[in-house]
Amino acid sequence: MQVQELVGLVPWTFIAQICNLFIQAYLIKKFLLKPVNEMLEKRRAKANAEIEDATKARLEAEEMKASYEENMHRARLEASEIVTAAQKNAAAKSEEILREAASQAAAIKNKAEADIAREKAKAVNDIKNEIGGMAVEIAGKVIEKELSESDHARLIDDFISSVGETV
Amino acid sequence: MDIDITGARVFFEIPINFPLLGRIQISETIVVSWLVMLLITGLCIFLTRDLKEENISKRQAIAELIVETANNFVVGNMGERFSYMIPFVSALFATSLVSNLISLVGLRSPTADLSTEAAWAVVVFIMITSQKIKASGVGGYLKGFTSPIAVMTPFNILSELATPISMACRHFGNILSGVVINGLIYGALGVASAALLGLIPGAVGDVLSKIPILDVGLPAILSVYFDWFTGFMQAFIFCMLTVMYIANAADGD
Repeated sequence: MQVQELVGLVPWTFIAQICNLFIQAYLIKKFLLKPVNEMLEKRRAKANAEIEDATKARLEAEEMKASYEENMHRARLEASEIVTAAQKNAAAKSEEILREAASQAAAIKNKAEADIAREKAKAVNDIKNEIGGMAVEIAGKVIEKELSESDHARLIDDFISSVGETV
Repeated sequence: MDIDITGARVFFEIPINFPLLGRIQISETIVVSWLVMLLITGLCIFLTRDLKEENISKRQAIAELIVETANNFVVGNMGERFSYMIPFVSALFATSLVSNLISLVGLRSPTADLSTEAAWAVVVFIMITSQKIKASGVGGYLKGFTSPIAVMTPFNILSELATPISMACRHFGNILSGVVINGLIYGALGVASAALLGLIPGAVGDVLSKIPILDVGLPAILSVYFDWFTGFMQAFIFCMLTVMYIANAADGD
């Protein structure tokens, strides 16, 4: 079989190898680099999207947490307001009750005092009437005796005053 | 025993004599090159079968590793603007590596033919030159030969031409030396085993001395260096030089 030189340039082999090299470059690009690079790019995009989603979710959660905290804060404020109002109300009511009680007590006391005064006056009048009666009796008794008008009046007054002191 | 180390065998010849180029010879180099291309392309198709984004197979992991290594090699050494060179450099490396290693199965490496490396080196040389012209214009490129002084022009031209020649010859020489040394070792060990077993008297010795028993073992160890190591190194060096020269040329060096 014919052989080529061990060290030599064969023009057609030379040309063929140049073509082969470029064909090989094209084949590698088409069958290895392009699909793998596309896949890597897709994966990178997916990873990026996932990271973005996670960031968004985290932001949302933070927002939600902030709004919850605000709501809680507001609720607490409202509760304390309600408690304060209730306490104020209760204090006012108790004061009113006390005042009313005091006024009622005062009214009762006044009434009682008035009653006492009235009873006293009534008793005095009763006694006066009785004394009047007694005076008539006394007068009847002393008819026999001659009495001056002045003696008569003095007698009555003395009696009344003596009775008044004892009552 | 004769050891015959020759160039590529010619399987087929188209009997048309082209001027300057001679007859088209379908040689061992060409046939094995096609085989190499088939192997590489087949491997590419095999590795990129059903690619997935998640839960990747080992095969896909290898494909991704190869692609990312190629991307990093080219972009890392040449910069992002040369990412269009990735397929070319990958093809150069893959073809060189598989061509070097295909001698392990007993075929003749296409890289043991100077025409192959010369073809690659010339392509690289054209790329280097076009980058230089792109960087500094035709005038600037031609003017670059006269620096630092006009007297240096012939030497500058020589050094420019030395680039592809040295690239081609370095690769070719390494692979050819492997072929030659392997041939010599096989031949020598065959002779040695024939001599050794020929000491056995009678017909037994005659039969045994025909079997080159010493050829088993030692050449395999040597092939770790001459085929595996050299194969990897030369493919890597060739690509590294390609990348470096082109990147330097584009920098207006």
